[in-house]
Formats: sequence, C-alpha cells, structure tokens
Amino acid sequence: MSGGGGAGSKTPADFLKSIRGRPVVVKLNSGVDYRGILACLDGYMNIAMEQTEEYVNGQLKNKYGDAFIRGNNVLYISTSKRTMSEGA
Amino acid sequence: MSQNPSHLLPSELIDRCIGSKIWVIMKGDKELVGTLRGFDVYVNMVLEDVTEIEITPEGRRITKLDQILLNGNNIAIE
Amino acid sequence: MAATAEEDSAVKEPLDLIRLSLDERIYVKLRSDRELRGKLHAYDQHLNMILGDVEEVITSVEIDDETYEEIVRTSKRQIPFLFVRGDGVILVSPPLRTS
Repeated sequence: MSGGGGAGSKTPADFLKSIRGRPVVVKLNSGVDYRGILACLDGYMNIAMEQTEEYVNGQLKNKYGDAFIRGNNVLYISTSKRTMSEGA
Repeated sequence: MSQNPSHLLPSELIDRCIGSKIWVIMKGDKELVGTLRGFDVYVNMVLEDVTEIEITPEGRRITKLDQILLNGNNIAIE
Repeated sequence: MAATAEEDSAVKEPLDLIRLSLDERIYVKLRSDRELRGKLHAYDQHLNMILGDVEEVITSVEIDDETYEEIVRTSKRQIPFLFVRGDGVILVSPPLRTS
C-alpha cells in the first residue's frame, strides 16, 4: 500500500511523489475546487496544474490551460475519484 | 523522563494514531473523518477513505475522497 | 518531451510556470473577487508581481431587498502599472501556449 515510507506509513512527501502527473482535486480554503493534472509542486504547497477546471459550489466556472495555485490557499490535495451527495 | 507516558509529545500522540480512523475539525464549518496514513512536522496529514462534511446554509454537504493530503494550516482539533 | 538541453523551458517546480510567463500577458485571481489581466514584468518567490497595462475586474454580489435575487456586478478599470503583493494571490494562469 504505502509508497515507500517506513513501517507502513505514508508521509506527505510520499503522497506528493505518488500523485505527480495524475488527475487531482485541489480544494482551497475558500471552498473552490480545482480539478486537473498535477504537473508539480513545492514545499509551500504551491501547485502547477494542467487542464485545470475551476468549480464553485460544484459548478464549472472556468478552465485554464496551465495554472499556478499559491500554496497558502490550499486546504487539501486529493486523488481524483470522488462522489457527492447533499443532505438536508 | 521520556518513558513517562504523561510526557508524551503531541507529535507522538499523532504518531500513535497512524492506521486508525481520526476525526479532524477544521477552522470554519468543516470536518473530516478518515484513516491516518502519515504526517510531517507541519502536521500536514495523509488521510485515506475520507468523508468531508461541510455545514452550509443549505444543509450538510458530504464528499467522499480516496486519499488526500490535508494542509496542517487550518486544523483546529484532531 | 523536455530534453535536458532545453532545461530553461522545463517546468520542474511551480514557480517555473511563472518564470516562463515573463513578458507575457497573464491572468491573476486575487482574494476578495478581484481578477487582473496584464503583462508580467517581474515577480519574486512570494509572488509579489509587477504588472503592466492591467485590466482589473472586481465582482460583487448583492441581494435584492425585495426579490432576494442575487445581483452580480462587475466593475472594470485600467491601471498602467501595478505592484501586486503576493499574499493576495490565489491563482496565476499563463497565456495558452501551444505545445
């Protein structure tokens, strides 16, 4: 399971190595989602993405060829598979 | 001294949670539940099989996520 | 794709994306619903930027008192030269490059 971390744990560094070039969802503190292919990132969680789509409240709002996201806004980086449901 | 369990460092506590399901309360109306896979010095965390709960005026929005790297910046209680 | 000989144009870290956009027109998304389009003259590691020939678009949403409908307003202005402080930056998108 783990990407090479010790004792079965997967550190943030392992995770970041494993998701390069893969489709990801990046959620910002503001609640906005960015979906695209992760090109690279750095220690500040600055992110470069390709084929980026911007979703606000689940609705597609914008598309960018390349996008740089400043790390301080990032809430999480997720692998792409996801399902949604809304309850009362 | 270091063997005294009452002198457990916060990071040691989190270390003991690796592999278990944890509940993270974020700043703002947001909570995450998932299995802790690892963390670093900033308490950025890798979580697996995550349920994200957002409390919005329209109700609770639940999002299921495979695996995430959670920024340690906005964690309030874990 | 990226040969080692052309290291200059390879994107190895996110800031390379910004470096490759120098002297190009870029799109910048800022906090508080502000967007900028302008020519990138300079930047640093904080993402402080100097932009030239800038168009700023400010979006605001108001709720109508009677109908409770959301009214989206945008106002635009032109700024010949602008220093942008990096901490307000959310996203930067370079011009579309044909690859």
